[in-house]
Amino acid sequence: MLFFRSEELVKAWCADRGATPGPSVRMDQLWVLAKTWYATRLAPEARRPSPAEMRGIFAGIGLTGPFWDPEARA
Amino acid sequence: MTFETQVKLAVYRAFAEDGKAPSAASIASALSVREDEVFAAWSKLRAERVLFLEPDGRTIRMAPPFSGVATQHRVRVGSVEYFANCGWDALGIPAALRREGTVLSRCEQSGEPLVLPVGESGPAPSTWVFHSLVRASKWWDDLVFT
Repeated sequence: MLFFRSEELVKAWCADRGATPGPSVRMDQLWVLAKTWYATRLAPEARRPSPAEMRGIFAGIGLTGPFWDPEARA
Repeated sequence: MTFETQVKLAVYRAFAEDGKAPSAASIASALSVREDEVFAAWSKLRAERVLFLEPDGRTIRMAPPFSGVATQHRVRVGSVEYFANCGWDALGIPAALRREGTVLSRCEQSGEPLVLPVGESGPAPSTWVFHSLVRASKWWDDLVFT
């Protein structure tokens, strides 16, 4: 889970490794994920989102499809 | 509050304080319990995907978003510098601490440095992107690679 200057550089990095690029995520989308996962991490009631909650969180910022489904079969 | 929750909070508070993974001895001392009780709690927290341990089962590698080992993703908050496990976790550290910070990382292809201020309402406008090679259903299969 890495940072890149542009989508073109993502493609170049994947091509160098013979890998298929996954979807890129904008920084504003990543902030939503960071907040959702970690904003209560130092509190007693903190817990990881359930798979259903994860799907809802991803869909809420436009991240849909099997790649973002925590229960998808490979 | 369960004992595992007390241990989890002690681990996270230790990470938040100085950016370093606490030892079992320090957690045992803070909670006035034995080390073997701490290890048992760590094992349960690993099963709940709250902690990730080194193969010895006795050293914390990750308490997401914090990393117990050096990575290319550093986060400066106040006078403390933290290591994050990945790009997602780099933004997760200011979110967890609820404080402003600066993410210091790099473009993995070009090596260009990333210096990204993160305020309480989110990162400064940026055209950089985050990319995961691993799909969500596989993230915990090999968390270090992910």
